[in-house]
Amino acid sequence: MIEVVAVLTVAVGFYMAWNIGANDAANSMATSYGSGALTLRQIIIIASVLEFAGAVLYGKKVTHTIAKGIVPIDSLDPHIVALGALSAILSASLWITIATYYHLPVSTTHSIVGAMVGFGIASVSQNYLSLGDINWDVLYRIVLSWVLSPVVGAMLAFLIFTIIKIAIIDRYSVNKVERVFKYLQILTACYMAFAHGSNDVANATGPMTAALGFLGAQTPAWVLFIGGIGIAVGIATWGWRVIETVGKKITELTPSRGFSAEFATASTVLFASSIGMPVSTTHTLVGSVIGVGLAGGLASVDLTIVKRIIASWLLTVPVAAGITMAVYTMMVVFG
Amino acid sequence: MKFVRSVTDVFGYSPFEDLHRHAELCGKAVEKLIEQFQASVEKDFERVKSLEREIDSMEYQADKIKHEIRGNVTKSLLMPVDRQDLLQFLKVQDSIIDNTEHVAHMLSYREFSIDGEIWELVLNLLKKIEETVKEYESLVDHMKRLIATSFSKKEIKDTIEHVPVVEELEHQCDKIQIEIHRRIFSSQHKDVLELILLNEIIVKLGEIANSAARSADVFRSMILGR
Repeated sequence: MIEVVAVLTVAVGFYMAWNIGANDAANSMATSYGSGALTLRQIIIIASVLEFAGAVLYGKKVTHTIAKGIVPIDSLDPHIVALGALSAILSASLWITIATYYHLPVSTTHSIVGAMVGFGIASVSQNYLSLGDINWDVLYRIVLSWVLSPVVGAMLAFLIFTIIKIAIIDRYSVNKVERVFKYLQILTACYMAFAHGSNDVANATGPMTAALGFLGAQTPAWVLFIGGIGIAVGIATWGWRVIETVGKKITELTPSRGFSAEFATASTVLFASSIGMPVSTTHTLVGSVIGVGLAGGLASVDLTIVKRIIASWLLTVPVAAGITMAVYTMMVVFG
Repeated sequence: MKFVRSVTDVFGYSPFEDLHRHAELCGKAVEKLIEQFQASVEKDFERVKSLEREIDSMEYQADKIKHEIRGNVTKSLLMPVDRQDLLQFLKVQDSIIDNTEHVAHMLSYREFSIDGEIWELVLNLLKKIEETVKEYESLVDHMKRLIATSFSKKEIKDTIEHVPVVEELEHQCDKIQIEIHRRIFSSQHKDVLELILLNEIIVKLGEIANSAARSADVFRSMILGR
């Protein structure tokens, strides 16, 4: 039975990874397409390879946080954990699919964290855990990182663009500058894909790892491998359309601005990965774009998105937690 | 497109291209106005009427752009210039085409029979106004580059160098205008009604140059007041 649940979790996890590639990875790559730094084909190749590399080489810490950081799964029965992980990944995937349909700016990261919290609370309600067993301090730090990552992205982007402006744009012809940044943006596109893969893969592989806990091992390498493949497949089968659609709309982000926003986002996200914090790359990117805008680099930035993002935080965590509790309870009752 | 979550919402409506289109319409309307005066001199009243309609429709288009900008420049937008400054600039720029349209209508009220000397001066005034508005347009042309360079010092300097030129041209318009008023009020022409109308027209023509100069000034405040 537990094997079946684990296989199902891996399958749904693959769907989650596909989703991450199709939408989140695509969004982070679209800036390089919009500025014309790379062709669609080049972007798909770079994104697939580097998202995969980021996931496999650097995705372990965040995966660990999602799998074991919030709910102390080691002190639970592996069967319960497998069911909980399956409920969490199912619920988060369901919510992401619904939210994507309605164009809500939700984050896969927030969904999966909410879902894991839901699993934790459900096991408290069934007396497998006490409320104090849930690692609230880890959750608190995760939420703090959600607030900080867009802010840090904005500050870094502001700083980077201001330096570029003073040191380069003010001195040389703007056309030449943009031509140079077109090449540099190829590097930041790679950086961005790697950073994104390293952080977001955990949204798929965290629950997979938890479900496979009965194998006794640490995060098995092939789990990250599956996550990386899922993201790459997502980019290749659906993400390219998103890159095309989004890229055409954000031509305002010229190479120098795109470089600043991408560099800031990738650095913030990679740092978050290094300390095992699951953050939203998309929200960090939005923060970074606002940072470039604050530095006077953009004709117009619409700040209503900040309200929508905050609303999506407040909505996603309870909704994902709620769905997980319902799914998990049904599985336990009928299972 | 269904099943897409995207970051595009962070990019807001940018009014700068529309502002530029609005400025271009002002320039084109002034060109048409000169044609209309020439038609009036040539007593081609049909053409005077058709140019009146053309200028009227340009003013209408400019109004539509103005409303588009006002409707979209919300407080939630983060722009490199102050929102109030931008709206003020739009308002003053709009008065260029408003005054142009006003003159176009007045010119179609009747045929003129006044002597050639005054007309000569009026055509001189028109040329000067055209020059003023052209200079004004080259000022506004900098908008795109100001944004591309994120308001670099050099670009700002190049931009605001146009402002005193516009002001100087407007001053020259004033001089011609005063001379025309002097001629009108010392004219022996019998048709007083015609003189009154011509006087009104000259006042409004002066307003076109005035609006361009004021708009240039507000544009400068807008880019310096960031």
